[in-house]
Amino acid sequence: MSTPLSNKFYEEMKKLESRYPNKKALILPALHQAQKEYGWLPKESLAAVAEYIGVHEAQIREVASFYTMYNLKPVGKMHLKICTNVACCLRGADELMGFAEKKLEIECGETTKDGLFTLSEEECLGACTAAPAMMANDDYVEELDIHKLNAYIEKIKEGGVRS
Amino acid sequence: MPKCTIDGKEVEFTAGENLIKVAARAGVEIPVFCYHPGLSVVAQCRMCYVEVEKMPKLQTACSTMAGEGMVVKTNSENVIKGRAGTMEFLLLNHPLDCPICDKSGECDLQNNSFGYGNATMRHSEERRTFVDVDMGPVIEKNMNRCIHCTRCIRFGDEIAGIHEMVAVQRGNNIDITTIDGKQLQTEYAGNYSDICPTGSLTLKDFRFRKRAWMLKKTASVCEGCSKGCNIEVQHEGNVVYRCVPIENQQINKFWMCDEGRFNYRYTQDPTRVLEPMKRDAGELIKASWDSAMESFRAEISASKVSFLVGTDLTLEEMATIKEFAGLSKITVEHFGTQGVESTAQDGPQDTILKMKSKTSNLNGAEKLGIPAYSGKSSTDTVIVFRGGRAVLPAIKAKKVIGVGVFLAADTAGLSLVLPGFSFTEKDGTVINHMGIEQKLRRAVLPGGRCKAFSEVLMLAMNKKALAGAVS
Amino acid sequence: MSEVKASEGSLFIQHFFKDSNRALSYYLEKMNGYQAAKRVLTELTPDQVIDEVKKANLRGRGGAGFPTGMKWSFIPKQSEKPKYLVCNADESEPGTCKDRQIMRYTPHLLIEGLVIGSYAIGCKHAYIYIRGEYVREAKLLDEAIQEAYAKGYLGQGIMGSKFDLDITVHRGAGAYICGEETGLLNSLEGKRGEPRVKPPFPATSGAFSCPTAVNNVESLANIPFIMRMSGESFAKMGKIDKSGGTRLISLSGHVKKPGVYEVMAGGMTLRQIIQDLGGGMLGDKRLKAVIPGGSSAPILTADEIDVIYDVEPLQKIGTMMGSAAIMVIHEDTDLVKLLLRITKFYAHESCGQCTPCREGCHWMESLLHKMIKGEAKMQDLDLLVEVAQNIGGKTLCALGDAAAGPVISFVKKFRPEFEAYIKGQKKYA
Repeated sequence: MSTPLSNKFYEEMKKLESRYPNKKALILPALHQAQKEYGWLPKESLAAVAEYIGVHEAQIREVASFYTMYNLKPVGKMHLKICTNVACCLRGADELMGFAEKKLEIECGETTKDGLFTLSEEECLGACTAAPAMMANDDYVEELDIHKLNAYIEKIKEGGVRS
Repeated sequence: MPKCTIDGKEVEFTAGENLIKVAARAGVEIPVFCYHPGLSVVAQCRMCYVEVEKMPKLQTACSTMAGEGMVVKTNSENVIKGRAGTMEFLLLNHPLDCPICDKSGECDLQNNSFGYGNATMRHSEERRTFVDVDMGPVIEKNMNRCIHCTRCIRFGDEIAGIHEMVAVQRGNNIDITTIDGKQLQTEYAGNYSDICPTGSLTLKDFRFRKRAWMLKKTASVCEGCSKGCNIEVQHEGNVVYRCVPIENQQINKFWMCDEGRFNYRYTQDPTRVLEPMKRDAGELIKASWDSAMESFRAEISASKVSFLVGTDLTLEEMATIKEFAGLSKITVEHFGTQGVESTAQDGPQDTILKMKSKTSNLNGAEKLGIPAYSGKSSTDTVIVFRGGRAVLPAIKAKKVIGVGVFLAADTAGLSLVLPGFSFTEKDGTVINHMGIEQKLRRAVLPGGRCKAFSEVLMLAMNKKALAGAVS
Repeated sequence: MSEVKASEGSLFIQHFFKDSNRALSYYLEKMNGYQAAKRVLTELTPDQVIDEVKKANLRGRGGAGFPTGMKWSFIPKQSEKPKYLVCNADESEPGTCKDRQIMRYTPHLLIEGLVIGSYAIGCKHAYIYIRGEYVREAKLLDEAIQEAYAKGYLGQGIMGSKFDLDITVHRGAGAYICGEETGLLNSLEGKRGEPRVKPPFPATSGAFSCPTAVNNVESLANIPFIMRMSGESFAKMGKIDKSGGTRLISLSGHVKKPGVYEVMAGGMTLRQIIQDLGGGMLGDKRLKAVIPGGSSAPILTADEIDVIYDVEPLQKIGTMMGSAAIMVIHEDTDLVKLLLRITKFYAHESCGQCTPCREGCHWMESLLHKMIKGEAKMQDLDLLVEVAQNIGGKTLCALGDAAAGPVISFVKKFRPEFEAYIKGQKKYA
């Protein structure tokens, strides 16, 4: 079977194998690694992870769908996840979300037509003392306000996303 | 033995027993959904609450082991309230479509609702709904009825050895399913329906065919292989509607395979031969028993005949045939499964229940000293006695006569067919691969003009004896 | 992050908020790094370590407040199976962000704590389960672990002793419930992070069905301090019985200076924390309420904050310290909306395996939605509380209690706000 995952996936996994008493424990790391390849996890990737781990494909789907960080649908190049939980909410996260929706002309949960941005609502990120906060792909952006968010989005629109 | 108290009754227990089992011995029933004695304990449904003295919170009886001196209450106000709360939660999103649900009448959700729920509903929000995927020929899925007990997932994982039923998503959105509409792969899929406490997983074979409460139930033994799984044949109006496994810890625990479950279908096949048939000018034509027996006797008396008995016959049937053959020095051999001629060649076909011998009584045939069919017939005529399940071997003889259960497709080489009883239509004994003797019980009466082997042989003998006296 | 001054006797805070402090060199020079581990590995028996930690009155810093030394003593001494120490770095209770600072600025403190803890319980391979969103912190930990391996603080024969230890950082992937220790263990094993039925407890059957201790980041990071200063001295740092050392507090919401602070255990009241550390109310508005221990802690009114901020005093007034995350709420806040947000969170994070939580959290969310939209009747308010009561104390893990507590306390203490929506006096904006 031709695998949709690169050699790098298998090399990275090889390094981790000795760190766990069994292969199933590698499911989470493997899904993280596989997601790096396309930014999300197509069915073919999930099947390849199942084959690598040696479990039924359904078992991988079961695990992957439990965790919010595994994207089972395609996402934009820049995934903005705005925290709207208590601490951020007290500091104006709802207004930020409203602003982002207007600015990007999409609703929360959607991706812009050009595929550049996906906007999501996020549960507490653990940045409460620097609220409101968001995750922009793997990075935290903290002590946000509308100006800061606007500038951040503008910067991405102009300069794109560094990979 | 250590003792604990349940609702004021002192009960003995063995270490490691949970409160559900111990309470049952005290005659106290504790309602459950997710708990199943054959599966791991997950304590998820929160139905089996009990109050244990010195513990502030309600405990789940499934996950609480009995302890020395433990004082348990199963009907306190707290327990009653807790269970009613769980019932209310479980029904929030349930469609309550009992009138058209196949599970109705044998549904844990209905029964526990009746026993422990409230009569009114306080929920007026929209119900959660799902679009269901097809799961293959055995099981019909209806996620809207699911109460997330996860018995099916655990059955797949722990018993069937395949993690094909899964919970995807989480929380309120969980869908318990196969993925992408994949068909169930396990050959034990019928059990998913048996253990489902609601009408979420029902048998396609049984769907909309009969209300569960109309069924009469006859405990018997599966004839599908030499395992001898204990089953209940469920029937009404002389029609079998389904076979389900019943508990036997020594043999099949709680389960049975689909092959065994659906094996009964042939007994009601419209092409089953239910009248004596004689071949005339190449065609099998209906005949009277008198005329059929005349032809039968003609072969026996010519003493150029040998017998083949299927290992799907009961011990009693085999013994009768063998005794009859002995009187006339007729050789008797057995047949049943190609390639499994003896118990030595029998063995597990998988790691669950299935055995290689596809008939129920190979062991019985050996115990009676009947040898396996050699593959060569030294006589002109061979008479085959068959229960219906044994696979007919290739027989080279001038004439082959069939006695017992045959479908039209089985009769190509037969010159005479005398119809007999199938495993749901007779009483008798079979010996499984472990040497355990078990009883088949008649659930329905045979249709048409079938006769038991003993009657056929008696008719054969009486006329023969009569003929001798006259001459 | 706001400027922070170290109060007298603080252990952590003076080392935070400066990126260069995370280097091994800083840890060795300024914090006596790995000296405690060296003494432990060469001079003390595992039992002596556990005794010292017991004497320290170190209560678990993750939320339940269970004494760490006691937890370690439950790990069987003799075991044919390997034993595991798992660090809970899932930090996911809303409001909490203190462990993140430890991992960012003093990762070696955590590593040393893991070395000592592993020695105490007999673990050869420790895991740090870190929430998936902490991508950067996971990377920093990995780097610190590599440094420690390179200098012989991890690996075979640590610092010339006979003790071996490996540490692996395991990333979660976005699930609050993995902060629950058995959910975390399932997640570590590559499963859905669904909490397990107990017993068996992790001490007998935890990670990979082996004896396991699960400890919070801050709990473990305190261990080197305890071994340096003695358990007794650590216990004395606490200003209240049964609580030793200091507490890292995440102070957020409507205060002038939100931030992570450190106080002596039981050394301050909630009012003092808000006034003295937080700099008072944002915009000098009036205080309305405080959520004192992460979003699952029952809410306190403005009149209830003259309470010593520690486990037992808070318990006495019907709430909890949890993960020491204080969220301050001023007068302009709509508490019905806030409760809806909290309830939505628990409904979203419910793993869904047990009935009251899966069905009930969602139901509570629907009822609150109805109220806000002005579609609820007065009996729905009582129904809301009853639903919460049918969840609280009835679930497999603590998430049910976490979801029920806020609902019951918000309605009890701020009932008129809910009634205003129902009566149509207030409309959703």
